[in-house]
Formats: sequence, structure tokens, C-alpha cells
Amino acid sequence: MSETGLPQSLLEISAVGKNFGGVAAVSELSMVVQTGSVAGLMGPNGAGKTTLVNLISGLLPSDSGTIRLADVEIQRSPSHVIAELGIARTYQNVRLFSGMTVLEQVMAGCYVRRGTSLWASFLGLPKARAARKAVESHALELLDRVQLANRAHLLAETLSYGEQRRVEIARALGTSPRLLLLDEPTAGMNAQESNEIGKLVHSLRDGGLTVLIVEHNVQLVKDFCDHVTVMNFGRFLADGTPAECIAHPDVQAAYFGKTTDAERIRTLR
Amino acid sequence: MQGLWDFWAAYRSTLAFAIVNSFLALSTYAVLSAGILSFATVTYAAFGGFLGARMVLATGIDPMLTLPAAALAGAVLSYLVALIFLRLESHWMALASLALILITRVIVINIPVVTGGVNGMSVPLPVSLELLAVLIALAALVFWRLSVSWYGIAAQSVREDTAVASSLGIAPRKIQTIAFVISGAVGGLGGMLLAGALQFISPDTYFVNIAFTMIAGVVLGGSYHWTGVIIGAAVFTALPVIAQAIIPEFQDVANGIVLLLIMIFLPRGLVDPRAIRLRNKFQLPVAQAIKDTSSTKLDI
Repeated sequence: MSETGLPQSLLEISAVGKNFGGVAAVSELSMVVQTGSVAGLMGPNGAGKTTLVNLISGLLPSDSGTIRLADVEIQRSPSHVIAELGIARTYQNVRLFSGMTVLEQVMAGCYVRRGTSLWASFLGLPKARAARKAVESHALELLDRVQLANRAHLLAETLSYGEQRRVEIARALGTSPRLLLLDEPTAGMNAQESNEIGKLVHSLRDGGLTVLIVEHNVQLVKDFCDHVTVMNFGRFLADGTPAECIAHPDVQAAYFGKTTDAERIRTLR
Repeated sequence: MQGLWDFWAAYRSTLAFAIVNSFLALSTYAVLSAGILSFATVTYAAFGGFLGARMVLATGIDPMLTLPAAALAGAVLSYLVALIFLRLESHWMALASLALILITRVIVINIPVVTGGVNGMSVPLPVSLELLAVLIALAALVFWRLSVSWYGIAAQSVREDTAVASSLGIAPRKIQTIAFVISGAVGGLGGMLLAGALQFISPDTYFVNIAFTMIAGVVLGGSYHWTGVIIGAAVFTALPVIAQAIIPEFQDVANGIVLLLIMIFLPRGLVDPRAIRLRNKFQLPVAQAIKDTSSTKLDI
């Protein structure tokens, strides 16, 4: 156990597998995410990273293995139960609700922490109204944290791509998670915007949140992740510090091709 | 003044049927607002209508008591329907609800003791326009409260993206079951009111023609806000009547033409909150907001 009383490993994945027909998207994969860390999940395209995030968040059921969140097995739990247990996520492609304002999106994220029943909310009881006001203030605070408080009443779809990504993060934070899964949070962003997302992730970690980032951006992983797991063809490839993983020959081979291949081509010439 | 009075006398019953159809369209909207296309309202309406009418005939109770009974019956039936339907994918659910309409008709024909069979039955429930006005006002109040409550946020989230809503802790099946029950209650009540407005019901009363009217009302008015549904149902009820008075030849095709025009030019219906929001005051500072964006930097 850590000093905070939380288990040192917040997320433990053990021999998890997922097949789509004859294709093994994730196979016998094991990894651990330490409490209060920023963990990275790397791998080339098609490595199975997003499938793994879908398995962790309950969007897909796993075929084998176990996934534990603070010692609670979650691999058979539906997505909404996993969210209540404390896992929130964002998506590779931004998936905001059409027709909702920025504030409403974040309030939808606060649904599990609304502090009132649906019935009381429908009747508009004083207690329910007070709880709703509290949630609204909390949602505005979250928007302030991602520098979007001044966009609260705009339709989310009218925002720029980078802003929409930040709304998605604020919405996920609305569930008051213990573990935040960010699926390629900087995809389509320039270096400065990516750096800002990295800083945001660090500030969240400093606030006690554990973060798992699926990321292609090697520089971002190097700069902002405490620990990295690399996978390829659905299998575990390497783990360690970002520097160790990037220097790992198998990782280099997975990303850039084998050195021996290059030598063979040179010999043929 | 006399002309106005004549107009009112001539179109009073049209207004009554517009309100009754609004109930049926609201029933369809209730599930649509949670991402489900279902025509099962016809079944709830039949259940509420026949049950209410039989209660009055068999027991002689106050007809007004049949209204909550019909709503309750519709709610219970819709809960049972939800238990089965929510196991299906959305497109299969829509087809299953059409199958349910056919099953309903066969059942209605084959239990003459309750329904009067193919001959139908008369309904001793006078439904006044004042009563209908009060009831639709109450229904509007309920749908308004639903839309501004946590249920409204959850239902909209489930409709827009069920998987994302679920990953935020919203239980889609729970929200959709509630939607079914609301649909059943409103549909059952609508069926009873239809019986009262017609004073006679038969297997043909609750069939696909109702399904068309309610879906057309939802498409015309807009499936994104409950007010649009009421407007749509009213327009679709009044249009053939008005067309008959002005251009009799136009009567039969009026609804079809209007439906086509709406789908082509206003695919989200007459009342579209998204379009309104894009135009409203919140969007006025957009120019300023864009200006701010260019200079905004995260400083965390």
C-alpha cells in the first residue's frame, strides 16, 4: 500500500486476450499502472492499443484474463459500472454529444456524481436543485481547468478541434475518476498544443489522478510519462522508463523495421 | 364574430383529435429521445383504449378513473415490452415493434369478450375539449420537467452516443427502460382519449394508420424537442381538414407532400434546438470567442 492508503498498483492487467474472428487483437497481455503515475501505452498502428483501452473501460468484453482496478475485478463489468468504479476515458476520434453545449457535455460527465435521484430531479425538489447547482459549479471549475470556461454556453461542435479534445477531457474528469484513459489525446494537434495537453496531464497527476495515455507522439511520451508499456501485434513487447523503451531494440524494430533487413537490402545492392 | 364562432364550431373536433394525436406522438417521442425508434405506441394505445372502455362497460365506474388506469396499463405493458425489446439491436427493435402491431390486431380480433372483436365496441366516455386541454398541458409539464432534469441529460447522451454515455456512468438500459415506461403511460392514456374522442373503437382504430400519424408528427415537428412533436401532430391532424376546405383534391396527398418537403428542407423538423442554439444569443460572441481562441494558451 502507498502512503495515501491506496494500493500501489491501481490497474493490473493479467494475461488479457481479445479476438475478432480469427484475429487476435490483444493476446496474453499483462501490464500494471501504478497509483499516481502517468503511464504510457505505445505501439505501432494496429498494435491493439485502442482495443486494450476498450477492454479496460468495458466497451468490449475480454475473452480471457483478468483486469483489476484497485483489487476489484472489472473485466466482466459493463461500461457504466466501470465508470462508477472510477475509470474515465477519452476517444481516439473526438466523440462529443451533438446538440449539447460545452457545459452540458461536462454535466453529462458529472451524471454519476449528481448527488440526487432522477425522481427528485424530475420533481425539482429544493435539495435536487441545490445539488444541480453544485454540479454546475463543479463543471464550470473543470472547464476553467482546461481553459474553456468562457466557452461554456457554446455548442461544443462549434469549437476548434483542440478545444473539443479538451472538452472531452473535462467531461471525463466530471466522473471524478481514479484512472483517466486518454486515447491519443494529441492526435491532430501541433507541438505547442500537445505540450499543453502534457502539462495538463501532469497537473492532474499532481492532483492525485492516475493517467494512462495511449500515444504515438514519442516526444510527448518521453517528456510526460513516468512509465511506458509497448505492445505490438496485440502482445507485450517491452516496458520501463520512456528512455529505456525507446532505446529497446525490439521497440525500434517494431517502429522502424529490423536493422538486419536494412543490412540485407544493402548486401543485395 | 359569427364567422369566428362558426369556424370554432367547425374545427373544434379537429382540435380535439390534434390533442389526442399529440399524446400518441409524444409517446413515440419518449422512446425516440432515448435513441429508440419504436411503433409499439399503437399497442399501448390499444391496451389502454380497450381496457378503459371495458372497465366502464363492465363495472360502471366513473369514466374519469379509466384515464389513470389506461396510463398505468400502458406503463406496465411497455415495461414488459422493454424487457424483450432492449435485447435487440435498434433496427431489429423497430421491426419487432411493427410485428407487435400485427400481433395486437390479431389479439384484439380474437378476444371479442373484451374488445368486441371485429365488430368493435362503443365507448361511453365523453371527452371534452377542456379535459383534453388540461391533460395536454399536464403532459407538456411532465415532458418539460423530464427535459430539464438529469433524466433529460442522460437520455440525450444515450441517444447521441450510447457507448460514450455508458462510459460516463449512465446506464443506457435503465434510461431506455424509463423511456419505454413513459411512452407506455402516455400511449395508454392517448389510446383511451382516442376511444373517448371517437366514441367507438374497433381493431382498425389501433393499426398502422396511427403509427404513420405519430411518426409523421415527430418528423414534421422535430424529434429533438417535445414542443415540436405537439406542433407536428397538430399540423398533421389539421392539414387534411384544412386542405379539404380549400382544395378538396389536395386532401389525400397533403400529408405526404408536406412530409416530403419537411424531410428534404428541414430534416431535423420544425423545432430544432440545435439550430436555435446556433442562432441564439450564445452564438453572438462567437467572433470574440474565435479571437480569444487564437490568443488562448493553457497555463497550468
